[in-house]
Amino acid sequence: MKVKQSCDTGAQHRTEEDLIRNPEITPEDVLGLQKITDNYLCGPERNIHKIDFTRFKIRDMESGTVLFEITKPPMAGTGGDRMDFEQNAGRFVRYQFTPAFLRLRQVGATVEFTVGDVPINNFRMIERHYFRGQLLKSFDFEFGFCIPGSKNTCEHIYEFPPLSEDIMREMILHPYETQSDSFYFVDNKLVMHNKADYSYNGGP
Amino acid sequence: MHSLHASVSAHSRVNSGIRFPRDKSKKLSRNYMDYLCFRTLCCKGPPPPRPEYDVVCIGLTGSGKTSLLSRLCSEATDNVVPTTGFSIKAVPFQNAILNVKELGGADSIKKYWSRYYQGSQGVVFVLDSASSEEDLEVARTELHSALQHPQLCTLPFLILANHQDKPAARSVQEIKKYFELEPLARGKSWLLEGSTVDNMMAVKESFTQLIHLLEEKDQETGRI
Repeated sequence: MKVKQSCDTGAQHRTEEDLIRNPEITPEDVLGLQKITDNYLCGPERNIHKIDFTRFKIRDMESGTVLFEITKPPMAGTGGDRMDFEQNAGRFVRYQFTPAFLRLRQVGATVEFTVGDVPINNFRMIERHYFRGQLLKSFDFEFGFCIPGSKNTCEHIYEFPPLSEDIMREMILHPYETQSDSFYFVDNKLVMHNKADYSYNGGP
Repeated sequence: MHSLHASVSAHSRVNSGIRFPRDKSKKLSRNYMDYLCFRTLCCKGPPPPRPEYDVVCIGLTGSGKTSLLSRLCSEATDNVVPTTGFSIKAVPFQNAILNVKELGGADSIKKYWSRYYQGSQGVVFVLDSASSEEDLEVARTELHSALQHPQLCTLPFLILANHQDKPAARSVQEIKKYFELEPLARGKSWLLEGSTVDNMMAVKESFTQLIHLLEEKDQETGRI
């Protein structure tokens, strides 16, 4: 399963304001975005297929070292001990890496997710990484068909874009100004939007 | 290619901040040519990335697909549970990376296998050599189906007669005969190997042989 990776997809440039005017946002729409969005482009209620991300792991392909792993704790049952999470808690992750991370060439990122009882014909993810106003990399990954009620894992290989020493230095000096938007589509309609930011100075 | 690219970017860095006084320009450009030659000969760029092949991995539940693939990726297998969907893994080998799409083998999942055949370049079929007669018959039916499926019938197959470590395991020869591989798989490129998680070196070797078949197929179809 090949990931399409590029810096400029050649799509027509679009802004967040253009997109939120549409009732349905498509993959071609987000491929035109040139910077991180200020807002989420859809709410959690759009996730009618009940797609749930349950685990995420990153490993260095050259050494096999696991760099990061997070598992979603099983939800407590209905009852007094259930916590009310803030609406966006499940949609945003903050990553804290050391400077050495930027020198990696190939990283394997594993994502595990479950789907509800309806089959999904075409599940697709487009993820865009930016440093300040600059698009670093765009990933376009088609999971394809998802079996109803299934739990699926997928590892795809990220090739790091070549980064100049200057950009790397700036990324290390300015934590959380490296950001990403992950857009998820079912049958070419946006159903989920997650965000992340990144630091590379090894500290909080 | 890579070292040439490196010298091009060195070139732009050199030009950006330096002014060449006119009377010294010839001498400086000769020095600069020496510099470029030096860079081209000595600069070791990163090695070219390994080729990738998309492979689908099928077989009945309990045949050992997840365990074998996890071990190939140096992952722990003490908490392997039945796969209830697909599991896509990038399995690295010395000369290639196999993007393996492993599909669960339970009845509820098996019926969707063909939804995942599109785009595959090879097939890994895993069977439990020590299973009951009944299960072995089901495995045979599934393997024959796959060998004849329009989207898989021209692809290289690696068939792993797994669980060879179990006392009840049938030998590779017996499996070959029972599965009627000689007549059925005639004209196709396939490999039948015994396997066990206790001998991962041999499993790696089996996969390496599959990679050779995939490389040959690639050259045949004229793809780079």
